[in-house]
Order: sequence, then C-alpha cells, then structure tokens
Amino acid sequence: MNPSTTVQTTVDESLSAAARAQGRTGRFHLPSRGERRNLVLGLLFISPWLVGFLAFLVYPIYYTFRLSFTRYSGFGQPTWIGLANYQRMFDDQVYHTALWNTFYYVALAVPIGVIVAMVLALAMNAPVPEVPVYRTILFMPSVLPLFAISFIFLTLLDPNQGIVNEFLREFGIHPPNWFGDTRYAKIAIVAIAQFGAGQVALIFLAGLKGIPQSLYEAAMIDGAGIASRFRNVTLPLMTPVILYDLILGVSQGLQVFTESYIITQGGPANSTNFYVYYLYANAFRYGGQMGYAAAMAVVLFLITFAIAILIFQTSNRWVHYDVT
Amino acid sequence: MSDEAFGDLIARLRSRKISRRRFMQDAAALGVSASLAGAVIQSMPAAAQSAKQVTFWTSHTEPDLTGLKMIVDAFNKANPDTVVKMVQVVGSETDTSKLMTAVRGGTGPDVYMLDRFTVAQRANEGVIQDLSSYLSKDSVDLKTRDISFAVEEATWDGKVYALPFDTDARAIYYNKTMLKDAGADPAELDSAKGPVTFDTLNGLATKVNKSAGNNFSQMGFVPWFDQGWHYTYGFAFGGNFFDEASCKVTPANDQVVAGHQYLYDYAKTLGAQKINAFIGNFMGSTPYPPQTHPFITKKLAMVLTGDWFIKNLKQYAPDIDYGITYIPIPKAGDKSVTWAGGWSLVIPQGAKEPDAAFKFMNFAAGPDGQKIYTVQTSHLPTVKALEADASLYDARHTFFVKDLLPTARNRPPLPVGALYWDSLTSAWQAIYLNQQEPKPALEGVVGKVQPQLQPSCPIKIGG
Repeated sequence: MNPSTTVQTTVDESLSAAARAQGRTGRFHLPSRGERRNLVLGLLFISPWLVGFLAFLVYPIYYTFRLSFTRYSGFGQPTWIGLANYQRMFDDQVYHTALWNTFYYVALAVPIGVIVAMVLALAMNAPVPEVPVYRTILFMPSVLPLFAISFIFLTLLDPNQGIVNEFLREFGIHPPNWFGDTRYAKIAIVAIAQFGAGQVALIFLAGLKGIPQSLYEAAMIDGAGIASRFRNVTLPLMTPVILYDLILGVSQGLQVFTESYIITQGGPANSTNFYVYYLYANAFRYGGQMGYAAAMAVVLFLITFAIAILIFQTSNRWVHYDVT
Repeated sequence: MSDEAFGDLIARLRSRKISRRRFMQDAAALGVSASLAGAVIQSMPAAAQSAKQVTFWTSHTEPDLTGLKMIVDAFNKANPDTVVKMVQVVGSETDTSKLMTAVRGGTGPDVYMLDRFTVAQRANEGVIQDLSSYLSKDSVDLKTRDISFAVEEATWDGKVYALPFDTDARAIYYNKTMLKDAGADPAELDSAKGPVTFDTLNGLATKVNKSAGNNFSQMGFVPWFDQGWHYTYGFAFGGNFFDEASCKVTPANDQVVAGHQYLYDYAKTLGAQKINAFIGNFMGSTPYPPQTHPFITKKLAMVLTGDWFIKNLKQYAPDIDYGITYIPIPKAGDKSVTWAGGWSLVIPQGAKEPDAAFKFMNFAAGPDGQKIYTVQTSHLPTVKALEADASLYDARHTFFVKDLLPTARNRPPLPVGALYWDSLTSAWQAIYLNQQEPKPALEGVVGKVQPQLQPSCPIKIGG
C-alpha cells in the first residue's frame, strides 16, 4: 500500500473520530472566530502577569533543572556532568546534616506555630471592647523583618547578659548557651520563628469569624463548657484553615534561612546548617557549585511536593468542610 | 535673568555638582538662551567634560571605611579626568553574592574589594579579570613592590588577578594588671624573651580563671576565641594545609591534628560548655559591638587576635596596661608561627571603565593609597617600601611589621578557598565543643574539599 494513502486514511479516521466526539459531548470543537478573538484579547489582558509568570517562574525553574546536570560557577559555560550532582548528595555528610536539621526544624516549628497562632487568634477574637488594641499588639511582631528579629534574639538569648537566661536563673535553672550549644541552637531558632505567628493568626481569626454563632449557642444549650465547645465546635471547623497553614508552613519551614544566616552562619558544628543555607553557600560562596546547588533546589522541590501530597492524603481523615 | 544665579549654576557645573543636562534645564529656567548655555558647556575643560565614572564596591564597614573614603578623595582630587564613586555593599570575606549576581546582570562595579585568599577561587570561576596587560602597560612589577605571599595570593594560573591592598598578623595580647592580680608574672610573656610554650601560657591562664556558680566570671585564655582559628593552630604547630606536589589538601596531617588536639584537651580540662557560655555570643562571625569584647571589659586576661586590635583598645579601653607577644610554641626551641591575610582590589568581568578602574586601583593599592590607609586605620601595608617606613607606625605595630610579618604563613590560595574555610570551621567547632576527636573531624574535611579541588589540579601556587 502506498504510505501516503495510509497517512490519509489515519487522518480521515481521526477527523471523523473527532467529529463523533464533538457530536457526543459538544466540547471538542475548533473555536470560532469570535471565541479566538476573545481568547487572544483575554490573554492580552492578563499578559503582564503571563510574561512575569513565564520569565520569572517558568524559565528559572526550567533553567535550574537544566543546571542541575552541570558543573557551573555562574560564569562561562556550564560543563555537562549528567547525574553526578544527584549522586553526590548521597555521599555528602554536610548535605545529610542539613537535611536532618531542616526536618527537625519543620517537625517542631510547624506544629508549635499552629498552636501559637491558634492561641493568638482566640485572644484576638475575645469579646472585649479593646480587642482592636490587642489585635494590633499581638500582630506587631509579625511586621518586623526576620532580619531584625534575629538581632533582637541574639541579645535576648545571650548566655550571660540575656534577659531570658536572667529569668531562668531566677528559678534556679542552669540556663543553656542557646546559640553556642549544638543541642539548643535549633530550638532557639524554632522559638524565633514563632514571632511570625501573627500572620497565620490573622487567617485563623478570619476562620473563627466564619463559624456560625448559632452552633455555639446550640452547644451551650446542650451544656457544653468552654473546653468542650473548643474541642467539638471550634477545632473541627477550623481544620480547613489549619490544613492550609500546615501546607504553607511546611513549605516555608523547609526554606528556613535568615536566622542561621544572621545569627549562627550554620554553626556551631553545622547544627543550624539548614537545607537552603547550605544551598546558598554552595551557589554563592563555594566556587563552581552552582550546579550542585541547582540539584539541591530540584530535590527540595520534590520533597516539598511529596510532603504536601502526604498531608493532603491524610486530610480527608481530619479536615471537616461542612458545618452540618 | 540673574547673572549671579547663572554664575552660581556655572560654578556648580564646573565642580560637577550637577550634570550637564541639569545645567541646561536650570539655565533654561533662569531664562538663559540655549546657545549661551551650550557655549558654557563647550568652554568646560575637556577633562571635566569627559570625566570617566568608576564605581568601586566594598563590603568594609567603619572604621576602615573612612580610610577607603580618604583614598578615593585623594585620587579624585589628583585625577580630574576620573571620578571614583565608592559604594558600600553587603558581603563578607567569603560571601560575594551581591557581586556575582550584579556581574551576571551586567550591573557590576568597575572595582571590587575582595578578600585576597579567595582571589584564586573567583578567578577560576571567571568573575574577575586578568590584570596582566594593565600591569605590563603601566610597567608595574608587583613582585618588587609588594611582599611575596600577598602577590602569590593575588595570582592564579600564572596570571595576576588582583592588587594586594593590606595585610595583618596575629599575636597574643595580655592584660598585665589582670595577670598580676591573679599572682602571675606578666614579665614571663615579654616578647623580648621570645615565645613561651603553650604549657607556660596555660599555667598563667589557669591562675586567672575564676568561677561564680556554674560559670566562669573571668578567664585567663580561651584558645579558639577571636582569631584562634583552625589555620592559627595548624600553622602554630608547624602544619601545612596543602601539598602542591600531590595537589592534595592536608588538614589531617599530624601537626594540624596536634594543634587541634590542644584545643580539644583545653576544652576537656575546663569544660567545653562552661567556656563557651563564658564567651557567649562572641563566637560565630556575627559582628558584635567591639566595646563588649571580654578583653576590653577586663574579663579575659589573654587573647589571640590581630594587629587591628591595637586601635580597638586605644578607642575603647585606653586604661588597660597590656603587652603583645608571640603565639606560643608547642615545645621549647620551636619557632613561633603566625599567619597573615588581607584584602585586594580586583576588576570584575563586564566592568565599563576597566582602564580608569586600573588607574584608581593602582593608586589605592600602590604606595600613595596604602600610606593613607595605614596611617588612618593602622592596618599593615603590603607595599615593602611602606613597611620600612617607621614613621607610619607606633611602637606596638613595629612588633607586627618587624617580628611577625617576615615569617608569617598564609592560607593556600586555592580555587576552593571558601569551601575549605567553611569545612575547617565546622570541624574546628566540633573539636572545641568536644563533640568529635580532632583526627576524624579533620579527615572529614578532606572528603568534602578534595573532590571539588580535583578538577583544578595540578595547581602551582603563585606560579
């Protein structure tokens, strides 16, 4: 058979298949002139965002992925080295330490963050006339840049003159050398992170406002106390917001950087060398490691993605979307 | 039209306080005709008209920044055809991310101040330019002008990439009053008698130590504090950090391990956590207010630090009666070893005015610039002629220049300089915190650094 006839037949078949599909569902048809015009116009209207999205998100992601297979200093030509950067992660002890430090941080900072934000949100929701003042006060620390908070904590947690240790000594506790002791440095950084809880508390506050008052009234008529109302009404109805915060918190927590950059430079003895800090050091301090840093970024993306999926998977067991 | 206002405008143009465009606009606002204003611009001296703009970036902070500013002003005054603009940027010894991203984005400076021990690395990466052609054009011979180790550090793969700018050296400072009060004899440390052994120093230090509850309220010596780095003890015990013949980093050779064993044992004897709580937040490289340094607050009797500390003491604790002596030796009869570092000036890739940039660099890093800097900041110069000029130093600095610098060691200028430094720092911390024995900790450094060094082998230092 003549090959061109074969091609022709296949095309005819697929065209008729398309026509059948169109007839059945009415969804697969070529856009009419008007629709095309609308589409072009629509795209033009959102083009500032589209261009930004392509130039500052899609392209860098693609470029990072490509760089992760090279040895590159950031200048000149990258050298293709295949999967060597990925293999190196298996042997790199500092990388393992950084990964462990980061998981440790996320496992502590995120759940504690939810609790702190919940307490703040409940306080912000208190039925007192001065509540706007309290809200402002409670939110204030979140306005400070992490950079500034880091310096404040450096003073607060000074082992000799710091107010925190003075306070602990009052109670006869032998206070730790927070940033100088490998056992406490990460915990100190988890504590710093709680200063940003105000942002999440605002979202929680919105969630609290969304809970119908009638539910509380019904619960009270049934004889539920404060604790019971919180456990059976507030908490279940807050779970969608908590889910949102968990996913956001994990993805931000995995990127913890500023505190160790400002306060500890990853030390002492790598105890605060977090994933992104190590990535940054490879990209900008150590020569020719841009490719390795890119590979680390790709892996971090996959880790974040996997954890997010995991949280979503479990969410149908504990997240309640319906009021009824 | 007011003649006075126009005259004032011309003066501002001549002194380059306003641009030519601004001049035309303001002149028009005063009602001056365009042809007259244009004629004024035409009549300007050619040099001022086409003055080249050189941008100079530094991450230095005060008090050194003032010294740099004085150099820039002196250069601008002497060279009306070039205008150097100094900009302070974020960065540190090993962190040049601002420079790298700017150069990549085409907005880099013409001159950058770079820690000299990272020149090899940045040259290998391709961030900075080879200066050979400028040096030969202006017939500058660095080898005769500057001290040799500084030139070595500025050289990579046989080509000069940087002009050495300043240097430093490390020594022991001791508070005579504190030692006397503790019943120790400070005269034992007199540098005229030569270096003491580490054992002698430990003996003196122990007398000063005082506890209050679980903490030290004052201490004699904390070996790893301030400039007591890994390199310091590796060199002090006679170690080497790089073997050129085999192209291998050698942080785990016996002498370097011995140096770190000293730190490990010191921590073990007195309690690592107790010592570090005493030092507190001064560890790490976060800048702290110099007036809270424990030597300045008279809580620490001896400290290993650099020549720049003379200036800090003068400013913040002029009442302390102190002496400066050699870094101790492992056993009697050994030679005391210190090490030196310093900064340099480089031209990044993509510089818009490289010729004018070199002219400025050569002024700043040459005898004229370094003289201003030495007098103002009391840092040590790399220009040999200035080192010989006794009028530039006080008596205390002379010890650094005459007794320490000629035999000072320096960090090997390797393309993995920053990675090597950071890896050594993690190991050194694990050692003085008594978390890891020196030998395995330092062997771990080889595993991290050597694979990254390998692609650049063979390496000829300063060649």
